[in-house]
Amino acid sequence: MNTHLRLPVVAGIGLRAPHIAQVLAERPPVAWFEVHSENYYADGGPALAALDRIRADYPLSLHGVGMSLGSTDPLDATHLSKLERLVARVEPAAVSEHLCWSGIGGRHLNDLLPLPYTEEALDHVCSRVTQVQDALRRELLVENVSSYLAFADATIPEWEFVAAVATRTGCKLLCDVNNIYVNAVNHGFDADAYLAALPGAAIAEVHLAGFDASGPCLVDTHGAPVAPDVWALYARAIARFGPRPTLIEWDTDIPAFAVLEREAATAQSIMETRDAIAA
Amino acid sequence: MPSLRDLQQGFADAVFGPQDVAPGFSVVAPAKGAERIAIYRTAVFANYRNALSATYPVVKRLTGAPFFHAAVDAFVRAHPSTSGDLNVYGGSFGDFLVAYAPAAELPYLPDVARLEWAIDEAQRAPDRVRVPEAVLAALTAVPGESLPELRFALDTSCRFVASAYPILRIWQVNQPDHVGDDRVMLDDGADTLLVRRDPRGIALERLAAGDFAWLAALANSAPLGAAIDAAQSADANFDLGIALRTHIAAGTIAAVATD
Repeated sequence: MNTHLRLPVVAGIGLRAPHIAQVLAERPPVAWFEVHSENYYADGGPALAALDRIRADYPLSLHGVGMSLGSTDPLDATHLSKLERLVARVEPAAVSEHLCWSGIGGRHLNDLLPLPYTEEALDHVCSRVTQVQDALRRELLVENVSSYLAFADATIPEWEFVAAVATRTGCKLLCDVNNIYVNAVNHGFDADAYLAALPGAAIAEVHLAGFDASGPCLVDTHGAPVAPDVWALYARAIARFGPRPTLIEWDTDIPAFAVLEREAATAQSIMETRDAIAA
Repeated sequence: MPSLRDLQQGFADAVFGPQDVAPGFSVVAPAKGAERIAIYRTAVFANYRNALSATYPVVKRLTGAPFFHAAVDAFVRAHPSTSGDLNVYGGSFGDFLVAYAPAAELPYLPDVARLEWAIDEAQRAPDRVRVPEAVLAALTAVPGESLPELRFALDTSCRFVASAYPILRIWQVNQPDHVGDDRVMLDDGADTLLVRRDPRGIALERLAAGDFAWLAALANSAPLGAAIDAAQSADANFDLGIALRTHIAAGTIAAVATD
């Protein structure tokens, strides 16, 4: 297996089940792939075998959706040990999770639920990030999530909360530019001020995806092309932080693989334009 | 200020609570609280519908999407997920359907669901190298008087599904690539099925009643003698020699237990 200790600083694609056979057959020139960790928690079988073959040819990022980092339930030891096993198997270039919670009282909701941005929540989620980093013996990338409501008891702006998690735990940030945009619209804050508050050196990866605007607020469906406003915000993020490994995510109404390749090419061209200006 | 735990419990209660009710905690823009919780409710239930659609495609095809989604929603409320890994959620859907009144007209539906869950579990079972020669050699080395107490390890992907209905035929004619006659005669009889994963993929095999009882007993850690008794009460013509040779060669029997 080739070794990739860091993701290449170029655009990659989130790989989902409908495209795996095509990728294995055609070996498209994609710089790196990211998969959802839990989809490879099985003890064996064809999905894991396919991931081994992909990992042999591409840098790989493991992106978790179920660790429930912010929950006040105990960390799920089985879930964590399966992640450890998968990390040992595929030696990914990055391991990420979400700054959210997903279950309470033993009941899982299997969704990315928002934290109240309070000192209590900050202390709690930082201790959990540290637990996971200690178990994996590596840095975790922690991603900001979309939200559709805000807790009246919150005392810390979201951007300060996100920055503090990185500063306190030494984790890296997975900066989801679409989620910042969605939350800026939903909660009425300035997306650029959010970016300005983040510690740029901690940002190890960027996510881009499409939202749904047909309801009472923007919903992060990962089911549409990246919106023009989000491309513009992404360009300003890259101008501020420099190029970063950037992932195109698409999880519902998944289109042809070529559509994802075009979205990744757009992200790549934005990074290269910035490089040309910087030079 | 409510604790983080109280806020999370309140949030979960609101998501699983009734429509158009404000959450039991304070939100910015309180007038929009119920509407925003409804967005989460929609997303949460959509996740489960999608996950179980992938696990139970034949059940969904038999019932149609609206019926299936309603059944999944009821199942989620009755049997909440307990893992952050959605891939392992839904194993008791077949048991749930037994008592799900709207499905009463489809008495075979719970067994079709059990078959699909068995397939799903077999897909996720550990990879194993097959060494039938080693199993035969180990078996030959066992003294005759010890045979009744001997235990076997079956291939870890093996699952056993029995039904009073012809669920293998129902499953087969509801595959996306099925062509030709898709009629199923419900009184065509019972099925006793072995589900396992071999190097080519999932294998579904209809077993004779004796073989089924024998293997299911072995899978349940019964010693060989007790498994033979179970086989003979299911089928007086059960032939141990043929069953052993067949299922060692096929890899169903993976090892002679050594403990």
